Amino acid sequence: MKKQQQQTKTPDSPPSFFKVLKKSALSFFAMAPMLLGVIGLVGLFQTLVTPEMLATLFQGNPFVDTLIGTVTGGVSAGHPMISYVLGGELLKQGVSHYAVTAFILSWVTLGLIQIPAEVEVFGKRFTLYRNILAFIFTLIIAILTSFTVQLFS
Amino acid sequence: MTKNRENKKTEKPFSFRGKNLLVLVIICYIVLFFVNSQLAVDSLQKSGKVLAKILPIFGLVIVFTASINYFLRPKQIAKHLGKEAGIKGWLWSMAGGVISHGPIYAWFPLLEDLREHGMRDALIVVFIYARAIKVPILPIMVDYFGWTFTLALSFYILVGSILQGWLLELFEKSIKNRGDGY
Repeated sequence: MKKQQQQTKTPDSPPSFFKVLKKSALSFFAMAPMLLGVIGLVGLFQTLVTPEMLATLFQGNPFVDTLIGTVTGGVSAGHPMISYVLGGELLKQGVSHYAVTAFILSWVTLGLIQIPAEVEVFGKRFTLYRNILAFIFTLIIAILTSFTVQLFS
Repeated sequence: MTKNRENKKTEKPFSFRGKNLLVLVIICYIVLFFVNSQLAVDSLQKSGKVLAKILPIFGLVIVFTASINYFLRPKQIAKHLGKEAGIKGWLWSMAGGVISHGPIYAWFPLLEDLREHGMRDALIVVFIYARAIKVPILPIMVDYFGWTFTLALSFYILVGSILQGWLLELFEKSIKNRGDGY
């Protein structure tokens, strides 16, 4: 009787943690080409798009510079700290607060190089909507943040 | 036995993803190598450094995904992060985004897994945008841009993440109402 109960329990019993871990590792391993592709792109961008090149794009018009800041931050890649250092330098060069805020925010919220991976995982429509929303909100947040700083300073 | 067979049938077969992207990137490197070999080597070295930096994060994500799958049933995930999830679901996603470390693409496998178990798209959007707050380097941001800037930016990011999630859900609903499949 006991044996029968054990036999009936076996198919429904939860798998061991090791099995679950192995399954998670396998599904992660399946994504290895995609992740390596994105990492390869990060290396290419960090070498080919230099900070000096980015700084030359800003023109002195706060509105246009905010747009340029959002786009350049979105196509850049690397540790967010680099964007702070670059942002600080851009401020010293007279680039507007709006543009610098948009630049450092889009650096972490928009990612041109991760789009292929995002499409692969979440689908085209989700990626399109998320990136459009992130782009618009980056502009809005950059303006609101700069406005708040001006208000309190 | 039949249940086991059914389970095996529903499990996804193993296949590599993003092969085309990797091939494309390799071609870019080969072309760059012939145009300027030094730049290609520099790029490769930088990619190697990035990989070395985020390898521990990959390990963390694997253990995190396994722990969630082991301790939480799909129903529980759906309850906390799915359609039934209330304000707590939004707050959990926001907090998860803020404390998650490393590049976002390292977290895609976990998010995909949670989505398959019922996590709302809106909460994925919240998680991704809230990641703009980088807790470990906040002191550096304060040093460069000041307290007012850091606090204001962090506040607007959190509010913005929720608004984006809410708007995405509105778009999805309007698409569903038009009868277009997502």
